[in-house]
Amino acid sequence: MTLATERSLATQYRADFPILNQQVHGKPLVYFDNAATSQKPTVVLDALMHYYQHDNANVHRGVHTLSSRATDAYESARDKVAAFVNASTREEIVYTRNASEAINLVAYAWGMTTLKPGDEIILSVMEHHSNLIPWQLVAQRTGAVLKFVNLSDTQEFDLSHYKTLLSDRTKLVSVVHVSNTLGCINPVEAIVAEAHRYGAKVLIDACQSLPHMPVDVQAIGCDWLVGSGHKMCAPTGIGFLYGKLDVLRAMPPFLGGGEMIADVFLDHATYADLPHKFEAGTPAIAEAVALGAAVDYLSGIGMNAIHAYEQELTRYLWAQLQQISEVTLYGPTPNADASNRASLASFTTGAVHPHDLSTILDQAGIAIRAGHHCTQPLHRIIQAQSTARASLYFYNTTSEVDVFIASLKEAIAFFSDIFG
Amino acid sequence: MSLDNLRDLYQQVILERYKKPRHRGKADPVDRYQRGHNPSCGDTIELTLHLSSPEGDATDPLLQQIEEVKFDGEGCAISMASADLMAEALRGKTVAEALDMVQRFQSMMRGEAEFPKDLRKLNVMQGVAQFPVRIKCANLSWHTLKAALESAQTAEPVGW
Repeated sequence: MTLATERSLATQYRADFPILNQQVHGKPLVYFDNAATSQKPTVVLDALMHYYQHDNANVHRGVHTLSSRATDAYESARDKVAAFVNASTREEIVYTRNASEAINLVAYAWGMTTLKPGDEIILSVMEHHSNLIPWQLVAQRTGAVLKFVNLSDTQEFDLSHYKTLLSDRTKLVSVVHVSNTLGCINPVEAIVAEAHRYGAKVLIDACQSLPHMPVDVQAIGCDWLVGSGHKMCAPTGIGFLYGKLDVLRAMPPFLGGGEMIADVFLDHATYADLPHKFEAGTPAIAEAVALGAAVDYLSGIGMNAIHAYEQELTRYLWAQLQQISEVTLYGPTPNADASNRASLASFTTGAVHPHDLSTILDQAGIAIRAGHHCTQPLHRIIQAQSTARASLYFYNTTSEVDVFIASLKEAIAFFSDIFG
Repeated sequence: MSLDNLRDLYQQVILERYKKPRHRGKADPVDRYQRGHNPSCGDTIELTLHLSSPEGDATDPLLQQIEEVKFDGEGCAISMASADLMAEALRGKTVAEALDMVQRFQSMMRGEAEFPKDLRKLNVMQGVAQFPVRIKCANLSWHTLKAALESAQTAEPVGW
């Protein structure tokens, strides 16, 4: 089977990812671990190489030509990221090492300095550890209290439970946009609007939405949003924090050092303007430049086109998995146009432990994730010690889904033979 | 799919022990308790041991004899079968002998050793050495055993 949009997307862009064209254990690689990290297109790798071969110098320091070129490349990548998420100004984009660092930046610079005993932080039970542990640390240090939004019957964000948790004590809501385990797409606009009625700030973890669908920070209305470069075709070591200008201005610095200062004296200093106030030390310049190239690449394809194609892939994948009686699927069932979930499926099979399944599929060249996907509390709630996860991207095809499904059935049969 | 490779890893004995473990449960009485956990995959094992002191020399803990080993937990076929085979092989061994077996098992996972005839059942785990990412699965129970034997009775989890 060939999908209509597949001819114009996966087949059109797959050749941009040389890593996909290889054999693993003698079989063509099927890379279905995109929620862990995406592969990188040649244009992104070229951007890294070009930067180091032509422009490498430290940024915001020298007056020489290379330093000026490096600074321009680094700062123009910021413009690209700002446009990608529709930030109102470029100063609202702060580069970080990854999304975890971006959340920690908010936790330390805002949470530790603002929250008081009895203040409440609302998270959901589906948060990645990176959006849970920083707030546990903040709560332990400040006396703030953590509250958790439950799953609905369909294993989605329970909006009505969320509304019952909100009160004047709520100072922060920090939730994931798309769950890396359940694949549900959370109603972030409604979540933000409700929180703002109580004057609470809202942080959105957009790691699993930014690579796959249009994300507009002004439409969402959030105070902060964090993203991870390596999940959206960029290298590792670069992520970003979006923050509303007035919110970022009101926050004290996080890390201290070079680059984030204006005037320094032995006993005090004044700080640089946004966004450099939050970018201490020599940043990941080449990685930021490559993030800009990744954003250009994704925008060139079109986030709407990527999302539409992935919805078709999701429906196809899900329908096949549903036909295997041993498979238990987690998260919401795709609706008619699969607009309620992302292109990933977490599942268990009765006989085969996810780790064993991952080893068996690897022998067939198929890369999936097995484990708790950094959502241990969620796995306790869905009563799975661990799950297997196939997560797709726009360069994946329905033929690859077919290979995956056939191997999955073989793996189940391999164990079932023994189990009788 | 390379089923030959997989048969090296998932030998019949391993799959049978995974399906029908013989040493699941809790030792009685419990002289040692140790929880082991592999945070990267979530596999968990709870090991309980019943020890007895040999005649004449009750003071040397290394000469204590392992009367019974039981395990409980959740994990993949490799980690659970490894625990079951380990529990069986330890019965009647002294603490010193058991600690030697831990060393030997870890050497076997590096492809450097195997067990002698009387313990050859443990050699079915040799196939795991070809799958480096799964060695920690096979080692979990042995790592937990080492902690159990080297410490006084404790409930501290063993990390990786």
